[in-house]
Amino acid sequence: MDPITFSIIRHRLYRVVEEAVITLKHVSGSAITNEGHDLMVSLYEADGTLLLGGVGFLHHLTSAAEACKSIIRRFEGDVHEGDLFLLNDPFTAALHTSDIYLVSPIHYKGELIAWSACFVHVYDIGAMNPGGFAPEAQDVFSEGFSSPGLKLVDRGNLRQDVWDTLLNMVRGPEMVALDLRSMIACNNVAKDRMISLVEKYGLPTFQETCKTLVAQSEVQLRERLREFPDGSWESRQYFDVKGEVYKVLLKMTKKDDELIFDFTGSSPQSKYSVNCTKWASLGGLFAPLFPLLCYDITWNEGVIRPITVIAPEGSIVNCTKPSPVSVATVGAIQSVNNAACTTIGKMLASHEKYDDQTSAVWHANHFAVFMFGKNQKGGDAIGILTETFAGSGGARTFADGVDIGGEIPNPISRMANVETVEAMFPVRYLFRRRLQDSGGGGEFRGGTGGELALVPHDAPDGGLHYVLSGKGSQFPQSEGLAGGNPGAINDYVWVHSPESDHGHNCFSQSLSSIPGEKEAISWGVFPLMGKDALYVRWNGGGGVGDPLDREPASVVIDVINEVISPEAAREIFGVEIQGEKIDAAKTEKLRKSIREERLLSKGGK
Amino acid sequence: MSTRQSRTLIIENGSTCCAECKKAIAPAGTSWKSGAALSRTKVIDIPGSTSSTHPDVEIRHFSCPACGALLDSETALPEDPFLDDILTNK
Repeated sequence: MDPITFSIIRHRLYRVVEEAVITLKHVSGSAITNEGHDLMVSLYEADGTLLLGGVGFLHHLTSAAEACKSIIRRFEGDVHEGDLFLLNDPFTAALHTSDIYLVSPIHYKGELIAWSACFVHVYDIGAMNPGGFAPEAQDVFSEGFSSPGLKLVDRGNLRQDVWDTLLNMVRGPEMVALDLRSMIACNNVAKDRMISLVEKYGLPTFQETCKTLVAQSEVQLRERLREFPDGSWESRQYFDVKGEVYKVLLKMTKKDDELIFDFTGSSPQSKYSVNCTKWASLGGLFAPLFPLLCYDITWNEGVIRPITVIAPEGSIVNCTKPSPVSVATVGAIQSVNNAACTTIGKMLASHEKYDDQTSAVWHANHFAVFMFGKNQKGGDAIGILTETFAGSGGARTFADGVDIGGEIPNPISRMANVETVEAMFPVRYLFRRRLQDSGGGGEFRGGTGGELALVPHDAPDGGLHYVLSGKGSQFPQSEGLAGGNPGAINDYVWVHSPESDHGHNCFSQSLSSIPGEKEAISWGVFPLMGKDALYVRWNGGGGVGDPLDREPASVVIDVINEVISPEAAREIFGVEIQGEKIDAAKTEKLRKSIREERLLSKGGK
Repeated sequence: MSTRQSRTLIIENGSTCCAECKKAIAPAGTSWKSGAALSRTKVIDIPGSTSSTHPDVEIRHFSCPACGALLDSETALPEDPFLDDILTNK
């Protein structure tokens, strides 16, 4: 087809998604949507084929495609113009129940021509713990409302009975209603713009463009894969829940123009809700694959075709019903994401041409702290600490990772201002800043994570509670590359309010200076009452290359900026600093001795 | 004629070699890590760790046995095997 027309329509499709995302954010009132950007919009062909993956949480692009296909199967013969479907069952297509998909057929002159789909993490889903992440759930039945597909809007008319039933099962129904309305508006905008596009260029041209776009992506990815040597690359992710250790193992094999991701050897499914379903694993591995390997290729079904996934049934990356999965998005899905990021990074580094596209793992331990209770005005409040979306950048092969630099699977994520959080919840920040020594050491170090401390403030009930989940605090997960160290580990500390009236935490500027007994926590529901404090630190990105090859001047700057400690400068980077200057002689001697120490032990197992 | 395996390794004359000094470490197409110098650091001993850190988790540093260039690192529990990265068509 005419390449100019093709290119114009392709770019128009991007703008359709962009405008739909803006609509979603404008209508939704949730911090997790507006601040965290925990959302996604994408477009699909009439048969559910992923046509254009948009921005937002990339874990969802392939799952939403399966949601479309599932709706097409379930409602065969009953899909009409103006319909809108809801799906959030993890064992059908979704990642977890609180990430609701709204899927909209797009008709033109009575013919089904495409679908749009979007998701947000709704304010609440009626799980046993507020906010949707349910660390106390023992099965998926305790994780809230779950639908394998229902019609929410019938030929343009909201099904009030379904709407009322859904909102009857959740906390904060007015906020959930706003979330749902934001997604309805989003799909309406996508549909309107798609129809305008078809009206301008004609249905045959539009359909040919769609087919060409998918075929083009497949051809481009296969061509790219053929540039790399055949081989296999392995990675491993550890995480912990209440002292139990889990592993996600990945062997990625590249042969000719295909990739196989094999998760054989990963831990059996857990009794805790960190499991993920096979759809979620698929989404987890595509999230880094799209931006790292397909940065200049349209993200659609064509990219999926050369990929095979092996995820053993009954494992933590392909659990069976009714295993609990509500924490999957900050659990096994992200471990799959991290493991794939590492193997793809290694493959990219095997070719000089793509060396500058590779990256160490970014912000590997996305966590979830959902606060709930009465706000300053006496109303109910549920919401996530959006700092987890602030992330940390993995180091590149030519530069350090970006401090507090986001995360691979969600290129538009960010955190809310401190003042925004303090306006929504009866809390006050003691501090929030970059976390020293959190970026993995390397010739190029990982971007730092961060740390924060919260105390109750102006709380009618004396404080509130929070639901904490994630991948624990025992293991580094932001793996380095080519010798780089992993980023530092998450940690969560509950500082119990002191019994005496002595010791005020009002101006404490470090964890050690907050008065009270300190208890390490990582999973469950906890109080933040009275003079309690909650301390959270999140991981940095992985480093790239040998830390001993880092420019000493860069190490000194990091020490001056308190990004790394003098101790780390010496022990990790082999740099001796006097005042604010390098001691060149001692540095040379120290680096030489560290290199010699490496040679003392020869051979592994 | 050498070809690149990673940022730190090349394949030359049928062997996986250190890219820095060209020292042959292992036959090409096999696991090369057992031919490298290995040092281990407990994660809990690294600046930036916390008291919650698993006491056994370590970072394995694989270095060239000739020049000491750092070739790769991996996070592992002691009982777990090396992660293998192998090129098969070089």
